[in-house]
Amino acid sequence: MSTTSTVKSDYLLLFRGNVWDRGLSPAQIQKVVSDWMAWFEGLKAEGKCLGGHPLEEHGKVVSGRQRTVADGPFAESKEAIGGYFYLTVADENEAIEIAKQCPGLEYGSVVEVRPVADVCSMRQRAEEYSTRQFAEATA
Amino acid sequence: MSQSAEPTAAAATGDISRLTDHLFRHEAGKLVSVLTGIFGINRLQLAEDVVQESLVRALRTWPYTGVPKNPAAWLTQTAKNLALDVIRREKSFHDKEPQIIASMEQWPSEAAESGSPMFENEIRDGRLRLMFACCHPVLSAEDQTALALRTLCAFSPAEIGKAFLTTEAAIAKRLTRAKQKIRDEHIPFEIPAGDELSRRLDGVLQTLYLLFNEGYKASSGDHLIREELCLEAIRLASLLTEHPAGDQPRTHALTALMLFNAARLPGRIDQEGNILRLREQDRSTWNQAMIALGMQHLSLSASGNDLTPYHLQAAIAACHCAAIDYQATNWQKILSLYDQLLELDGSPIIALNRAVAVANVHGAQAGIDAVQSIQRRTQLNSYYLLYAVLGELETQLNHFQAAIANFRKALELTELTSEQSFLSKRLEETEQSSLKNVA
Repeated sequence: MSTTSTVKSDYLLLFRGNVWDRGLSPAQIQKVVSDWMAWFEGLKAEGKCLGGHPLEEHGKVVSGRQRTVADGPFAESKEAIGGYFYLTVADENEAIEIAKQCPGLEYGSVVEVRPVADVCSMRQRAEEYSTRQFAEATA
Repeated sequence: MSQSAEPTAAAATGDISRLTDHLFRHEAGKLVSVLTGIFGINRLQLAEDVVQESLVRALRTWPYTGVPKNPAAWLTQTAKNLALDVIRREKSFHDKEPQIIASMEQWPSEAAESGSPMFENEIRDGRLRLMFACCHPVLSAEDQTALALRTLCAFSPAEIGKAFLTTEAAIAKRLTRAKQKIRDEHIPFEIPAGDELSRRLDGVLQTLYLLFNEGYKASSGDHLIREELCLEAIRLASLLTEHPAGDQPRTHALTALMLFNAARLPGRIDQEGNILRLREQDRSTWNQAMIALGMQHLSLSASGNDLTPYHLQAAIAACHCAAIDYQATNWQKILSLYDQLLELDGSPIIALNRAVAVANVHGAQAGIDAVQSIQRRTQLNSYYLLYAVLGELETQLNHFQAAIANFRKALELTELTSEQSFLSKRLEETEQSSLKNVA
């Protein structure tokens, strides 16, 4: 096995478009529930999805120096994130191909594919930073 | 992240199987009835909105968490919570708030393994009340069927539009108008009693029959939705038979009639979607369970002195279902049933069907005579089926030229592609027979 094929990268699929479900009939809703669940289960079984959660519609927004706490919504409701999948896949193309299978797409869902920044290099930078701080403090 | 997802994954495995066919649609229909009892018939739209929101909540969470152990109870609980929010928020409910909340206390909790009998009764009564309201005589027949499909069966306006070959917008408009009329005319949300019951029950049965026929008639509309219409009409009629108010011989007769006809649906069309005549149908495709259930209702329909057109039509349909093949059909009995039916309902369509029975008992020429006497008496001259029947009967007598003329006329008069292709096929076959005959 070549080393390139074992390199995995992580992606978040963010599902937007919370109003897409309004005009659906009960029969259509049931179909999307089944399809979406099968999709999620399949990805987990294949090891391509580590997990995922729905997000509640309501919440709080904390902002500014005053630490102002306000009620959501945070954006136009059709742009609010309704849930996410955490994917571990070979590359961006694979993540995009998976996103294309989203059963909500034909009803107006929008899937955002976002690479998760490389944790290793972050940690490396953090370690370098703390080593430097330590060196300065003890100098 | 992966850790928190693991128990979810385990719980979700195989959950999809808990979603039985039409679960959402059927639960939605039930919940709209129950919530209408709480909000009042004037707030039908509010009941629909609350139910829709409950389904949408399931849609947002179930794909991730898996289907709950008792999905129907989950939906009921969610609808209850949402309804309570509405009641607390809306001023118009303030006066009645304590009693509404008290009545909702009886709803089963999500934890309950199965619904409480009291709640089941409440659902059943609610559905019947809504059925009587939707089929109220002040509403037009069109409005009644659309409203019943929307509120009792939880079809969307787009789906109803598909079944009725019209647009979603037209159906939405019709529904709004019907709901307005319910408010304006103060249509009650109740099961009628006394003398009124019999009259109002007739109205409900008529609407269910209309609904059934809408689904049954061969047409270019969406095949699957049409079949569902038939099944919904049967479901609602069965619901009526289970309640003392609806448990009448005529209700059983209608249920039997619909079951017999629906049982034959799979045999009516071949794999290419062509219409098959009764004699060509593969009777092994007929649904024997439905036929058996139909026979039960037919015997229950005979428990009084009531003799309605439903009784006679059910008995005719039973003759067809009971025959092993076309040759074994008891046409003598069918003809005598049509004779009785014609006395109760002298419609030319029934007379035309009777003519087919006449032909099978007394020969093709007698059938042609019967059709021609209908033509003399009524305005059935633009009905394609009349010419299709004449075409068939003339073929049996080897009158190919007359048959060809009739099939051509029938072809001119029908707009449905499935019927056009059937008639074209018959026309072609007859033309070939005619050539062979000459040769």
